[in-house]
Amino acid sequence: MTKRVLIIEDDEQLGAQLDSHLSKAGFATTWLKAGRELAPDELQGVELVVLDLMLPGLHGFDLLKRLRAFSDVPVLVLSARSDTTDKVRGLRLGADDYLTKPFWPEELVERVRARLRRPVLERAGALQIGALRIDKERRTVSVEAAPVALTRLEFDLLVALAERAGSAVTRQALAQRVLDPDRDGDERTLDVHVSRLRKKLGPGNLIETVWGIGYRLASGRDE
Amino acid sequence: MRLRSRLALATAAAALPLVLALVWWDAQAQQRAAETALIEFTRSHLEREGWHARCEAAPETWSADGAPDGPRGPRAPDEAEAHGAAPHEPPPGAPPPGGPRHRRPAQFFAYDEALGSRNPSAPVLSEGLKQSARGRDVTVLPAPWRSATVEVLLRVADGQGPCAYLLARGTTEPWLGAILPTTRIWITPLVVMFAAALLALGPVIARIRRLTEAVRRSALSHYTEGVAVVGDDEIAELARAFDGAARDLRVELGEKDRREQALREFLANTTHDVMIPLTVLQGHLAGVRADLASGKPIEPATLAAAMDEAHYIGALIGNLALAAKLDSDSPDLHRGTVDLNALVTRVIARHRPVARQLEVELESALPGAVVSVDADVTMLEQAVSNVVYNAVRHNQPGGHVAVILDTLGTERFRLRVLDDGPGIPAGELARLVERGFRGNAARTRAPNGQGFGLDITRRVAELHGLTLSFDRSQDGGLQVDLEGACGAR
Repeated sequence: MTKRVLIIEDDEQLGAQLDSHLSKAGFATTWLKAGRELAPDELQGVELVVLDLMLPGLHGFDLLKRLRAFSDVPVLVLSARSDTTDKVRGLRLGADDYLTKPFWPEELVERVRARLRRPVLERAGALQIGALRIDKERRTVSVEAAPVALTRLEFDLLVALAERAGSAVTRQALAQRVLDPDRDGDERTLDVHVSRLRKKLGPGNLIETVWGIGYRLASGRDE
Repeated sequence: MRLRSRLALATAAAALPLVLALVWWDAQAQQRAAETALIEFTRSHLEREGWHARCEAAPETWSADGAPDGPRGPRAPDEAEAHGAAPHEPPPGAPPPGGPRHRRPAQFFAYDEALGSRNPSAPVLSEGLKQSARGRDVTVLPAPWRSATVEVLLRVADGQGPCAYLLARGTTEPWLGAILPTTRIWITPLVVMFAAALLALGPVIARIRRLTEAVRRSALSHYTEGVAVVGDDEIAELARAFDGAARDLRVELGEKDRREQALREFLANTTHDVMIPLTVLQGHLAGVRADLASGKPIEPATLAAAMDEAHYIGALIGNLALAAKLDSDSPDLHRGTVDLNALVTRVIARHRPVARQLEVELESALPGAVVSVDADVTMLEQAVSNVVYNAVRHNQPGGHVAVILDTLGTERFRLRVLDDGPGIPAGELARLVERGFRGNAARTRAPNGQGFGLDITRRVAELHGLTLSFDRSQDGGLQVDLEGACGAR
């Protein structure tokens, strides 16, 4: 389902670019070219507002303040100013995030997506990441419904990665969490366990190596 | 109001009531003295022989003139009697010895027991006055305001008939003389004092004018000229204060000039620094257009370079703006609780599009719990951004950059930026943290290049009490650590 994003930007060129890039990224956009008070029904179905601060008519801050009186919709503020006071004020008035100009379209899209991303579904101690399903209670793992037998350490390792799916986790953090220094050895042992785990999970290489950091479990989202 | 007129007005305001009070007091004393003298004189007249008979004989015309000898007491006044023909008979004697001033002689009128007079020129007494005067030996008639006339009413001993009472009319003249001298000489010292005060003010005013002129001259010369101090009184103190203010202003203006000069230089440098990458960017764009025109496929490398150049301009301007803030005498930090996880996420998001174009993998790892620090979010973000961008920009295609935020214990955090780029020679590593160091390695064309961004980072770290250290990473690249205390203030 396409998500609705409201863009409030007075600059024609920048507004057109924001509109085009967010549309291409799969959002349904509405572009408002001046600052004015928003009516609650204008925000019907809007999941995020991209708000420029320097607007003719009603200033972005005032618009934000009035909008916050009736809506909790996430607001991403675009600011040309690199002043801390402005950012702090924006956040205090209820902005969820800010983006300082200049920015890349990808940066904007990524920030909008991050804001709208649903947390990893975890129901009754079970994690579902793409085809991978982890039952933390029963300590069982399945890929495309096919059960995968893991050792205690491999299971803990997978859970540690799955809990932060899509984000890199440092070797050090993983080692601290799953390795017993007296029995299991150091960080290098971890690589061995990871390679075993990868084999067991099968093709698709769900566990990525991240240079300089450690490993990451692919989030399974199609972005 | 000018100083002189103010002084004149103040003097007059102080002197006038005093003079008026003295004159009023003098008039009172004069009045009382005249009354006493008139009563005395009338009494002595009453003791004389024969007047009573004459009065009784023609009460409608009887009158007598006598001159009391000044207010201080009559001295054997001559008596003259009217013989019906003239109501006012000049006194036969010499004029009273009260001085050259003319003094009207005292005048008598006869009244009966009911205080009525048959003499038509005698003043008519009011009923109230009759009431109060009846039976009394001496009655002083109330004197009208500002009048020099004194009237007393005396009862004739065993007096009956038309001459039972005698009204004597005298004068308080001359006007002054009771406590003030009769001559107006006393006005002279007053006038002299008045003039002296105004005269004494002359040099003071002249000095103030000179001082005003000196201050104006000093201002005209932009305070390079001081204000001369003469003497050691209040005016000299004022001059000294002006001189001190001028000296302070001189220092301030000098400081301002210096700052303005620095700002001009800064602007010139900024323009220069921005123009180079902008020119390169234009070159790339022109190349792309030329490729398109000649039907050649666009070089992805050219586009990547163009994007990098645009990104570099953005970073440079951010750094220049921050440098301007840091260069001010007291950079004002807007400290607040900063979510470091979010900050790192923003920095990564900012540089990832360019890293992708440069084929450099940019990854980050954040701790599960949010790491908060007390900092100016803009400054800290720019500082971290510089280190990350530095690692991306000076890498090669296929290279990596890793940003790792970690907590050391519960009190401290460490932000590590690793790359597998060419790194920095060991000899230069230690010098990276020195003030104003610019890397020798030709890592960038721009004159301020990498050294500038890292210098900003170093200064921000210093301002926030963070430790910045440089080391070689395992893969020979650069490892930059930023460490500091966690927690909101």
